Amino acid sequence: MAVEQVAQEIVKSGSEAALGTGLYYLGKFVGAGLAMGIGAIGPGIGEGNVGAHAMDAMARQPEMAGTLTTRMLLAMAVTESTGLYSLVIALLMLIVLP
Amino acid sequence: MNSKQKRTLLILFSIYVVLGLVNMFFFPSADLEGVGLRWAYSFGENPSFWNTINPMTVIMSSAIIIILIVFAAGVKFELIPNKKQALIESLLGYFWELVEDAVPNEKYRKPIYVISTTLFLFILIANLLSGMPGINVTPVSDGIKIGLFTDTWYTPTSDLNTNATFALMVLIISHVFAAKAKGIGNWLKMFIEPTPLLLPLNLIGELAKPVSHSLRLFGNIFGGGILVLIISYMLKYFLLPIFLWGFFGIFVGLIQAFVFSLLAIAYMGSLLEE
Repeated sequence: MAVEQVAQEIVKSGSEAALGTGLYYLGKFVGAGLAMGIGAIGPGIGEGNVGAHAMDAMARQPEMAGTLTTRMLLAMAVTESTGLYSLVIALLMLIVLP
Repeated sequence: MNSKQKRTLLILFSIYVVLGLVNMFFFPSADLEGVGLRWAYSFGENPSFWNTINPMTVIMSSAIIIILIVFAAGVKFELIPNKKQALIESLLGYFWELVEDAVPNEKYRKPIYVISTTLFLFILIANLLSGMPGINVTPVSDGIKIGLFTDTWYTPTSDLNTNATFALMVLIISHVFAAKAKGIGNWLKMFIEPTPLLLPLNLIGELAKPVSHSLRLFGNIFGGGILVLIISYMLKYFLLPIFLWGFFGIFVGLIQAFVFSLLAIAYMGSLLEE
């Protein structure tokens, strides 16, 4: 990839810019990892709650299982959205930033 | 499962295997250059916001509209329904029940139903296309690279412009309906309830709706596509991407299309409540 070649050239040239470039890439990748890792905690807990309570309701009323599954998937998709914001931020850091 | 379905599944699976072999031998160095980038074409000398388009989004949106029109033209409505008519009737009937539950004002049920069902059908076809191997265009350092069956079809919903347009449309339509149904005075009063101190909070709450509405669909489809691309890069595009495409394209795509249209109904319906 072009960006990595440029980075390698800067590092090979041995100038003072090499440290800055290294720190820039360090911050970019660590930031993307942290954004995705921390951002996945909330949706994980939320989806677990949704699933657990849907299972409770299904055990209490097995005849409602079809409706409950649809609603459960819907609630999960809404719960997921905060995790997806962090995914968007992580992808922005990895792809859109030079 | 009868023998006809078995034969269809076998044919589909063999097509997938043949495509995987073709990918393995003829596109061996499917590198990750240009992942997540968009092919943008600008008409003027200096590209700006006003004269740049995303050609793939335009092409695929037109293709999806044509697919929907051709499908709709092929359905004949008879007294004894055939398979297509039964599918359409049960789908649209389900949506009509959802609208009846969510919208209190009877006068606005039909327009809301039409808008939300149109959004659902468009996004459904777009997301299903993202679960099938097809033609994808990515920009590289010298021009563009056309990938034949190395990736899924390009979907308009993996472009934030499409989703933001839909979400803004839903926001504007919901406020126009609310202003029409309740009168301008009552509609403006909605922003300063319960006290005028909460005006900025109410405004931000309204403006956050299209942001979350559009980013949810965008993040699911775009993130799923990138994820499958990176995983299948490790396996050189053989066999595993098919199942991942099936999951991220068809299962997640179906749910997200449903969620998008259901939230459109809920947003429009909640503003109509007295």
